[in-house]
Amino acid sequence: MSTRFRQWVDTYQDQAWTLARYLLRDPSEAEDACQEAFVKLWHHRDRIDPDKVRPWLMRVTRNQCLDRLRRRRPTQEWAEWQTADESPGPAEGTQQRELGELLRRSINGLTEPYRSLVVLRDVHQHSYEEVANVLELSLPQVKTYLHRARKQLREQLAEVRP
Amino acid sequence: MTQDRNDGWTDDTDRDANLDALLAQLRIEQAPERLTRRLYRIPLEEGAGRKARHSVWRDWFRARPRWVLAPAFAAVPLLVVMLLLQPWQPSKAEVEQARHDVAVAFAYLDRAGLRAGREIEDVLGGELRHSVKQPLSEHMPFTESIHKEETS
Repeated sequence: MSTRFRQWVDTYQDQAWTLARYLLRDPSEAEDACQEAFVKLWHHRDRIDPDKVRPWLMRVTRNQCLDRLRRRRPTQEWAEWQTADESPGPAEGTQQRELGELLRRSINGLTEPYRSLVVLRDVHQHSYEEVANVLELSLPQVKTYLHRARKQLREQLAEVRP
Repeated sequence: MTQDRNDGWTDDTDRDANLDALLAQLRIEQAPERLTRRLYRIPLEEGAGRKARHSVWRDWFRARPRWVLAPAFAAVPLLVVMLLLQPWQPSKAEVEQARHDVAVAFAYLDRAGLRAGREIEDVLGGELRHSVKQPLSEHMPFTESIHKEETS
């Protein structure tokens, strides 16, 4: 059983980490959220359909992150948004590094569930059905919200690159 | 117009293409080694204590089909009722002790009864003797005033 859990860690830790990083914008908190999600996975390992581990884990990771965000004070959230994230992010090393950084910050500026939608669909490349499962939304809702999220991203990028 | 297209952010279609291209460049970030080590430790930290506490009962329940559990649980109250309804047989020593206790109790009752009888006999006998010699009303305090009025 421990071997299977280790396989799950190897397979899904990067996705959980990336999602937590985007949602929390704090590496230390993202680590804690990931660990809590995997602890839950360990305790529920016998009850989870092995084929649905990824959406289950993404949903739990997201809920952990949202709980942490709710506990934060609004001023702290705003201060984090204004402070540039110095640590290397998911877009590091791309050819359009500057635009990538802008895009990452724009995604971070999205509200929920738009931020999770963009991360799960556009960064993780999950299917629409899987995103709907993770976020507990209907398929039409996922498509509508994703359209709105991309529109917001386009508008924010247009502001910096008129 | 060509310049606008090169900028890439003036037309909706181009913006979508640019956005898709940018989004495609965003990759899943590799989790830090420290987190990986923390996650690998979870079975050791969370599993060891819990397994020691719960594994015996959990394994017992899991080892048997569910239909076996129903009669197993029903047998428990049945066993309790059978134990309660079972006739109780005292030992010889208990019987002897009980006989001795009863004998002592009856001896005490006999002695108390005899003493009470003697006291009753003494009191009633004396009063009866007085009542024969003198009028009974003299021995009653509330009749004294009536008795004096009559004699005066």
